[in-house]
Amino acid sequence: MTNKRSGHVLLGINVLVLGYLPAAWKTPLLEKDAFINPDYWANLGRAAERGTLDALFLADGPLLGNPAHDANPIRLEPTVNWGQVAAATSHVGLVATASSTFNDPFELAERVLSWDHQTGGRAAVNVVTTRGVPAARNFGLPDIPQRDDRYERASEFVDVVRALWASAATGQEVHHHGAFFDIEGRLRVPPSRQGQPVIFQAGGSPQGRALAGRVAEGVFAAELTKDQAIAHYKMVKGLARDHGRSPDDIKILPGLLLSLGSTEEEARRRCDEIHDAGPASYSIGWLSQAIGYDASTLELDAPFPEEVLGPLKNSQTFLGSIGFRESIVTQIRKTRPTVREYLQQTRYTGSGHAGFVGTPEQLADHIEDWFHAGAIDGFNLQPDRLIDGLDVIVDELVPILRKRGLYRHAYETQTLREHFRASAPTAAL
Amino acid sequence: MTRPYLALGLAGPHLIELTASRSLLARWDALPLAFSVLGIDRVDGSAPAATTLASSAVGATLAGATRHGRFFVTATPQRDHPYNIARRVASLAHLSRGRSGLLIGVRDAYAPAGPEEAPAWGGAGLGGGTALDAQTAFDAARAVRALEQSWPYDTIVGNRETGVLVEAHRIVHVDLANRFSIAGPLNAPEPATGASVIAWYAATPADLAPTAEHDPIELVLGAAGTVPVLPLGQEPPPGPWAGLVLRAGLEQSVDALLDTAERWLAEGLVAPVAAGGSLRAALRLPAPAPLAATARAAFPVPQPHVPPSHPSGRHP
Repeated sequence: MTNKRSGHVLLGINVLVLGYLPAAWKTPLLEKDAFINPDYWANLGRAAERGTLDALFLADGPLLGNPAHDANPIRLEPTVNWGQVAAATSHVGLVATASSTFNDPFELAERVLSWDHQTGGRAAVNVVTTRGVPAARNFGLPDIPQRDDRYERASEFVDVVRALWASAATGQEVHHHGAFFDIEGRLRVPPSRQGQPVIFQAGGSPQGRALAGRVAEGVFAAELTKDQAIAHYKMVKGLARDHGRSPDDIKILPGLLLSLGSTEEEARRRCDEIHDAGPASYSIGWLSQAIGYDASTLELDAPFPEEVLGPLKNSQTFLGSIGFRESIVTQIRKTRPTVREYLQQTRYTGSGHAGFVGTPEQLADHIEDWFHAGAIDGFNLQPDRLIDGLDVIVDELVPILRKRGLYRHAYETQTLREHFRASAPTAAL
Repeated sequence: MTRPYLALGLAGPHLIELTASRSLLARWDALPLAFSVLGIDRVDGSAPAATTLASSAVGATLAGATRHGRFFVTATPQRDHPYNIARRVASLAHLSRGRSGLLIGVRDAYAPAGPEEAPAWGGAGLGGGTALDAQTAFDAARAVRALEQSWPYDTIVGNRETGVLVEAHRIVHVDLANRFSIAGPLNAPEPATGASVIAWYAATPADLAPTAEHDPIELVLGAAGTVPVLPLGQEPPPGPWAGLVLRAGLEQSVDALLDTAERWLAEGLVAPVAAGGSLRAALRLPAPAPLAATARAAFPVPQPHVPPSHPSGRHP
């Protein structure tokens, strides 16, 4: 490998409640209501700090999906959830997803800055625009605004929030009169220990990437292949530069779905067992919403028809993630699997987010490869089941990365922003 | 005569002082108080102090950093929506093991005014919003209560044999249509200790909440309610009060507030309320009535799922 980068990677954990696989709750290691137990959450935070991890991440949306067989749709409010974890931890960064569509920017700015104060400067907000009619109907709307409108609103929303955060430090009133918001006021919350809370962005649509290039300091990306990841890494860092920012001001962390074992076979067996313990309809259902096509109508033993893989008929009304769909279609076009083969393969390779099934040593190789290739600044790791998956990351993966000089041995910085700054500079663009 | 219980009223600067000090937190947590109000100045008509914190952020810290103390968070629908308030209220109840409740207010002293035509929630720029008055706050409280009840705690069955984690067909829409239109359900279950206690603040009879069927307000703080607010420096007044909220002024410290609380408790001027346990149990409030049995189911009856015994026969 040429052009080896110096410095360390960023490691976050995407805490999909109990893990990304629907059947994670079935393990006897968990009580039936672990997802609302404060000890479960505090222990996740303590485990992450044992591994000197950079951040814990929580997805969010103001709606309930069907929790019949899966704890993933259950959503404690992230600033509260991470506020409680902050009291049990001292260094790990905490990323809360928040909707720019279904919040008032003043209330969110005050709440996030307050929570950041309580964490000692470890807070980040991941700004999402929120999809789906069920969310809209919780706020008196028949449907969500179209994609362009949501992103225009998100852009102004972030500007207002940042101006309000600045007002906490300066004491100067904000006078904002825009297309969506009118604010005359200021925050009376103590200023942030890290300057301002860190802003994440997670969307892979053109509008999402444009917003990221302008304002985001962390990007939770969806990348299936290294080549695609390198291209997007360069694109988003380039967008930041176009806005007069340093490429180092924005860190790229794709998600990585994980099943780990002491051998590759053991990891695959674990992956299969947890997959099989959940209803098969979940993978069909997930694929359907991700590609915008009812996958249950597809012939399982035939390749995907061209009409499924073509351009979206209307990206404004598509309810899935454009970034996920792009990475899935690219993957299907590359190998032309049958629907059955695709669903089987993606157990090991991921779908939307990349997947990894193997040993901690192999995962360290993978992280090192993508890092030196200039595809990532770090990964947002998504274990299949956290209760026993997080310990493997902390106690087995992290020590390997440390030996290779890719990760710190102890926390050397305090705030999340400092963690970001202490990580490796941007790869050659 | 029955002695009143003691509660504390904390204004903006006190929230910062309390949560910044491990020793103050330990003293607060050890006191046999009924509850503390986090940011009472946000909703009691006070002018904003120089500093404050969002009440739910403080509640989250107390949930994680203490074990016994009970508290009300404050919120208003001025720049907040009942669905979002309900999420934080339910989350705090889970993470504090039922030690939390909600003091709903009409106006938020720290928030800028919203648009004239829709000063409550209209500032969110979604084309909605409504009047900023007691009815809106009351309807927000009704929404919080209904949303917390929309997903009963005992639906969490975790049956590994059938593969059913949650009896989701018992989760219901709330279908509210008053000042707020909300379909529901909430995306977190009802707290194991039951729906959170909801309180109201009324300094005068004119400040009292509207009344209606399914009234969610269970406690009224202030001179027009059953639990008056007393400035720190005064002695407990005689009277048939259920409790007293001792409120520190902006120039007074949490340390001084705790000193007085400790003295009053030691001298028997107020009745101790055993530390620990839920806010509802501490206030001896009955569980609220459940939602109507006619509420619309949000999900179908879950089908049992039995994992395949032969990997070759599995559906992908």
